[in-house]
Amino acid sequence: MPPTSPNSPAPLYLALLFPFLPSDRCSRSTAPPEPPFALVGRSGSAQRLAAVCPRARALGLLPGLPLADARAQEPRLAVVAHDPVADAALLRALARLCEDATPTVAIERPDALLLEIGGSSHLFGGPQALADRLRQRMEAHGMHLREALGATPDAALAFARYPSADGMIGHLPVAALSLGEDAERGLRRAGLALVRDVARQPRAAIAARFGMGAALALDRLDGSAPRPLSPRREHAPLRFEERLAEPVATADGVRAIMARLIERACRRLARRGLGGRRFDMSLFRTDGQTHGLAMESGRPTRDPAAIARLFAERIEALADPLDPGFGYDRILLSIGRTDALAAHQPALEAAGDRVDDRDGDRVGDRDGDRRNDALAALIDRLSIRFGPARLLRLLPAQSHVPERAERRVEAQSAERRSADALSWPQPLNADPPARPIFLFDPPEPVEVLAEVPDGPPFRFRWRSIQHRVACAEGPERIAPEWWRLKDGALHGGRTRDYWRVEDMEGRRFWLFRHGLCDEPQGAPRAGGMRPPGWFLHGLFA
Amino acid sequence: MNGAQAPRFAELVAASAFSFLEGASQPSDMIAAALAHGLDGLGLADRNSVAGVVRAHVALRRARERAGADIPFRFLPGARLVFADGAPPIVAYAETRAGWGRLTRLLTTGNRRAEKGQCRLALEDLLALHEELLLIALPSETLPCEHGAALAMLRDAAPGRLWLAATMQRSGTDRRRLAERAALASRLGLGLLATNDCLFATPGDRPLQDVLRCIRLKTSVAAAGRQLAANAERHIRPAAEMARLFRDQPHALAASLDILERAAFRLDELRHEYPDEPVPEGWTAQAWLEHLSWEAARRRCPDGVPERLKAKLDEELGLIGRMGYANYFLTVHDIVAFAQGRGILCQGRGSAANSAVCFLLGITSVDPMRHDLLFSRFISEERAEPPDIDVDFEHERREEVMQYIYARYGRERAGIAAAHIHYRPRSAVREAGKALGLSDDMTARIAGTVWGSHSRILEDERVTDAGMTLENPEVARLKGVADRLLGLPRHLSQHVGGYVLTKGRLDEIVPIHNAAMPDRTFIEWDKDDIGALGLMKVDILALGMLSCIARAFELLRQNGLGDYGLDSIPWEDAGVYDMLCRGDSIGVFQVESRAQINMLPRLRPREFYDLAIQVAIVRPGPIEGEMVHPYLRRRQGIERVEFPSPAPPHDPDELKTLLGRTCGVPLFQEQAMKLAIVAAAFTPGEANRLRRSMATFRHAGGMHDFEKKLVEGMVARGYARDFAIRCYRQIEGFGSYGFPESHAIAFARLVYISSWLKCRHPAAFACAILNSQPMGFYAPAQLVRDAQEHGVTVRPADVSASPWDNSLEPESSGSGNLALRLGFRQIGGFRRAWADAIVAARPEGAFSGLEDIARRARLPPRALRLLADADAFGSLALPRRTAHWEARRTPPGELPLFAAAQAIELADEPAADLPPMQAAQEMAADYQALRLSLKAHPLHFLRETLRRDGISSAADVAQAPSGRRMRMAGVVLVRQRPGKGNAMFITLEDETGITNILLWARDFERQRRQVTAARLMVAEGVVQKSREGIIHLMTRRVEDRSFLLASLSDEGARAAGRGHPRAMRIIPQSRDFR
Repeated sequence: MPPTSPNSPAPLYLALLFPFLPSDRCSRSTAPPEPPFALVGRSGSAQRLAAVCPRARALGLLPGLPLADARAQEPRLAVVAHDPVADAALLRALARLCEDATPTVAIERPDALLLEIGGSSHLFGGPQALADRLRQRMEAHGMHLREALGATPDAALAFARYPSADGMIGHLPVAALSLGEDAERGLRRAGLALVRDVARQPRAAIAARFGMGAALALDRLDGSAPRPLSPRREHAPLRFEERLAEPVATADGVRAIMARLIERACRRLARRGLGGRRFDMSLFRTDGQTHGLAMESGRPTRDPAAIARLFAERIEALADPLDPGFGYDRILLSIGRTDALAAHQPALEAAGDRVDDRDGDRVGDRDGDRRNDALAALIDRLSIRFGPARLLRLLPAQSHVPERAERRVEAQSAERRSADALSWPQPLNADPPARPIFLFDPPEPVEVLAEVPDGPPFRFRWRSIQHRVACAEGPERIAPEWWRLKDGALHGGRTRDYWRVEDMEGRRFWLFRHGLCDEPQGAPRAGGMRPPGWFLHGLFA
Repeated sequence: MNGAQAPRFAELVAASAFSFLEGASQPSDMIAAALAHGLDGLGLADRNSVAGVVRAHVALRRARERAGADIPFRFLPGARLVFADGAPPIVAYAETRAGWGRLTRLLTTGNRRAEKGQCRLALEDLLALHEELLLIALPSETLPCEHGAALAMLRDAAPGRLWLAATMQRSGTDRRRLAERAALASRLGLGLLATNDCLFATPGDRPLQDVLRCIRLKTSVAAAGRQLAANAERHIRPAAEMARLFRDQPHALAASLDILERAAFRLDELRHEYPDEPVPEGWTAQAWLEHLSWEAARRRCPDGVPERLKAKLDEELGLIGRMGYANYFLTVHDIVAFAQGRGILCQGRGSAANSAVCFLLGITSVDPMRHDLLFSRFISEERAEPPDIDVDFEHERREEVMQYIYARYGRERAGIAAAHIHYRPRSAVREAGKALGLSDDMTARIAGTVWGSHSRILEDERVTDAGMTLENPEVARLKGVADRLLGLPRHLSQHVGGYVLTKGRLDEIVPIHNAAMPDRTFIEWDKDDIGALGLMKVDILALGMLSCIARAFELLRQNGLGDYGLDSIPWEDAGVYDMLCRGDSIGVFQVESRAQINMLPRLRPREFYDLAIQVAIVRPGPIEGEMVHPYLRRRQGIERVEFPSPAPPHDPDELKTLLGRTCGVPLFQEQAMKLAIVAAAFTPGEANRLRRSMATFRHAGGMHDFEKKLVEGMVARGYARDFAIRCYRQIEGFGSYGFPESHAIAFARLVYISSWLKCRHPAAFACAILNSQPMGFYAPAQLVRDAQEHGVTVRPADVSASPWDNSLEPESSGSGNLALRLGFRQIGGFRRAWADAIVAARPEGAFSGLEDIARRARLPPRALRLLADADAFGSLALPRRTAHWEARRTPPGELPLFAAAQAIELADEPAADLPPMQAAQEMAADYQALRLSLKAHPLHFLRETLRRDGISSAADVAQAPSGRRMRMAGVVLVRQRPGKGNAMFITLEDETGITNILLWARDFERQRRQVTAARLMVAEGVVQKSREGIIHLMTRRVEDRSFLLASLSDEGARAAGRGHPRAMRIIPQSRDFR
């Protein structure tokens, strides 16, 4: 125990235990599962309950139970995936909520916080009042809570975990020593169920059987051995601020300060191996008005010149230019989103001793990188100018149905082609392109004269103009995606037969027959058997 | 036929579901589709496998039988060779029997060098074994250069025997591709073959194929997209449509007919010859078999072979000679003789095992002369079916027999039959759900409600049970897909022990695979396929009870209580039957289940044949045919024994001989079959098909034609319709578990032997069965308790007395009785080596203490702790707690423990101040270490609490009059939900005995959690006593009081509050049967 001077208050610890942390987290979400529910994790080949909600607990479903057994007992049990990372994040967030009570908040994973409140509880009307206040706060956040005070960190934590001990160290079960399952079992088998039973034994006998750790744990519980807390530490947020004694009112002055902030930010980002994805510049005017500029980048970046240029673009694009009025006295840059960005030295590599030139691909990649850099810069600029939702690119999608074979994403989106090498379909050998570059949405109905049952079209009328087919190739038969049928049937929908045709004038079209002659056509309510229809779906260049 | 103009075509590139996770139709469906389209033939070529060809062969045979005429259609068995070295896939068919042998050897080569389920082939393998094979190449559309090179190589190696396949699957550029292919063919000088490279029978099978591919790719249909086929074109097409598609290359259709004609090999040509090894030089197999049989007969009957036996032997040997089965019997005899020479107990059963020949050769110990079996016919001549003998061996020593077979006949001549594993409801739902992209949660919920695993479709109730509605499209789709997956083959596995042995090379009949178990190889065909081709197999099975009996005999020998074998125990001992009539049969073979125990006092077996009936009657066949109660009523004399009889023109006594020994009620499978022949005028061939479709109706279907024929046939002859319908239902019941008389008699012998051991030598029997665990229905705790109730003294495991196994010791009283000493094997987690070390250290003198044992037997701390927890230091006056404290003394991890400390004594230490252990805690600790306690029953300590709640004991229930409402509490021993699952049987045990609970399904569903989770259950219901004195508590309400058990142990008492389930595990989990 650290020596304390007579004046300084005796250390006092408050433990906040969240017995249902994972389930409370789910209940707080926007779509909470219906109780009773459990969080399930995989251990080995079996799925086991990792945590349960209070209802499930009351039904006797305990963590550790195999999911199959739990279901046999309670078929209505809803199941959510166990997410320890999210739980840890929630615990950190809860720790932040306590920081006004004391500077020393330690996280005791997985489900508890430990606060040193000896020095601060008087500010809140005493330890109990502080505990009540925190309880109310936690409950307001939808958390179940068991709290306990103790003279040592371990005691506070143990009292929270084992309320049956009633605040008496001796009455705690041996599990409170946290010695691990094997040692716990050993102590209990020896008939030593409570801490006081263990404490009665000679320390040497305990140490000989359960190691020095057991003896130490006993001492820590009653405070005869110190136990340091490791208070929560978080990276400070990426915020950079300039307070100006003399307000700046000129555009150049503002730009210079912004450039300084960006420089500082980029240095910090480089130290952390990060690149910014979202930058917010707040400009505070002396008269209390605030201007905000937000900028997003498609790729993580920490290039000061590029960021400054993007902000400049942003300012230019403003309908209502920045009006410094009597000047800004404070400018704040915060980086809202970051991604990892490793350091690299393009110039040095390019000029380097070309050791890995044997690997031609990598050189190509590097060239490609450079091109991509330029393209990315252009995409960023255009997106900032017109808004990210206006600049799109197409990605291939997993479907044979032409209108579903691509999807649009924001050009800036980090989404790449998935790693499973899904690429655009390539025509075989030296074939002409299989798909047109222009698709009608929806396909346009056409009147067609064609060979039955599934031959090529001879003539078709599109937008009142008659086209005579000079040559046709096909059909490319695409069956409907049965798994999308609304009625859950395995069959239904209409098959399409696509034909590539060229008319007498050399124009190329993509036509399809909708429905086969021998397939049931649509639902009965739509008039039973309908003859196949024809549509024009696209134009080749 | 439509005349010369009609286009003709044979589809020669077709895969079935035996191309696992690719083909979507059964081989029989492919044949049916090809026949329906009027094709000239079909070639089935699955990926590196011929596993499905027999199914197709049989389907065609059946179609011919149905049509009653020869259908001009050819089926070609073949395989699609998929190479690991980048060569194009090649479909191969055999021109001759020798060609087939090469194909199967080629596949064997690929299988044997890969892991189970894989086949690694290279083009050179084919180049080495291509002769007399016709080859169809399927190079990819882009024709990579290695494909071109491979084609040229094959063409040069197999001139005139290689074709190039072309497809027209409406991919948009079909004609362009066809022209390219034709150009390539003429450049290489190959024939062009039209095919549709079929993956399924009809376009409607596309969804299933998509799902299978998703299962293979481990993705969902929505995510798989272009990895799935764009359309449903890869089905079997009519010739006219093929002709239309291939109008640019008409000769490509004609090529299919060329190949059809040239690939002349038919599966019927496969001839099975049993090995010659057992036949000595200079003898024919038949002569040697006759010699052995007569020798044995003369040995058995030194005073002259009785006429009856002579006649029987003559008849049997004559039949064996005519059918050419002598080698088969000699091979089985050889295997059995090997086992007997090694002292491995074994017993044969099965139709052929019913014979005097098998009895004389020692294959079975059922004497057909003594038991006067119902059917003298052990092989049916008209059925031309191979004989079938199953031999059970001690389960722990079967591997010796199996390795003997491999060693004697060689890997290329001996193989285990395959088991074709099919999708069952649970796996179908799970995999379909994954492929449809549903959450694990949802599919697990539906799969979880499926009881039993043999239904052909997923019942709607299963879905609604899971709280889901079929109106939800996702759920409806899941059910639709799962229904179609059901019954589809999923993978090959090995049969439990059916060996196929051949004189020539087995791998020239069928490919051989590596099994998952080391040192095992199996063939691709399952038992139905083997039967359909007339190949013979002998089943080498493992039976736990034989191990147990062998152990018991050994114990009797060691203790001077007699030298017995399966044949030499005293038969028809009245005391044994008295015991069984009381329902006292825990541990006895086959009749120890709850249903059997309930049946015993009603059936009251008094002679050996009664045991055969007892074994056979509690089975789905008699139960579903509602034959049980009529039989019991007649046997008890409540109802007159009369024989169902037909209307006048027919012989009114036609069933008398058939049903004479079973009081006019059909109970055995043969009786049901013979009924069909006699009373419904089935031909033996039809009856045979009926029996076969019963055994395989899971994946063959077609039972309903039989239902009509059987019921109407019997009604037409004047039998009561009700009786006819029951007969049919019985046959249907046999389908899921056929039980012929010959099996019943073989099992009945083991019932008698185990009952005799239990009755006359309870200590040896209990000891043997404990040493044979796990087996049977009951946990060691019940077996020990049962032994105690039969007067056996049971002593605890102790460092000074126990060996590894449980053992027998003389009783100290000098009564000459034997006491059962628990062995170290009862201690959970204890190792045999530790036990042996302790035994080896004993002769040096008595152990002085824990440290002494540790040093002398060099035990690690874990062993010491386990011994302490099992309270095994009783002889050293070291109580459990003190021993545990001692054993903990050297902290784990400091190696080498006592070995290093051999010289150094641990320092003295003041005696620990440990609280004494309560009796309840001792009991709980016993259960934790040994899964049983000799000190007390857990309920003993809870009796006060329970009595305060007005809860009665099992003894109270047994005394109460029928109709009394009572509450009873007990540890759950067994939960069973038999048959259709409308009732649940639960056995509860307390310190006074056992109570049987019956719970109807609706009450079960209401309290599912309590019923399935409880280890300590309180049941409330009405006592029901039958005339025979069987007591049930007809329960409506149960409570789960497992927490009371937790309060008994010192661990549980504290842990109950925050309870990890582990803390509750004081009582081992019940054994649950579905």
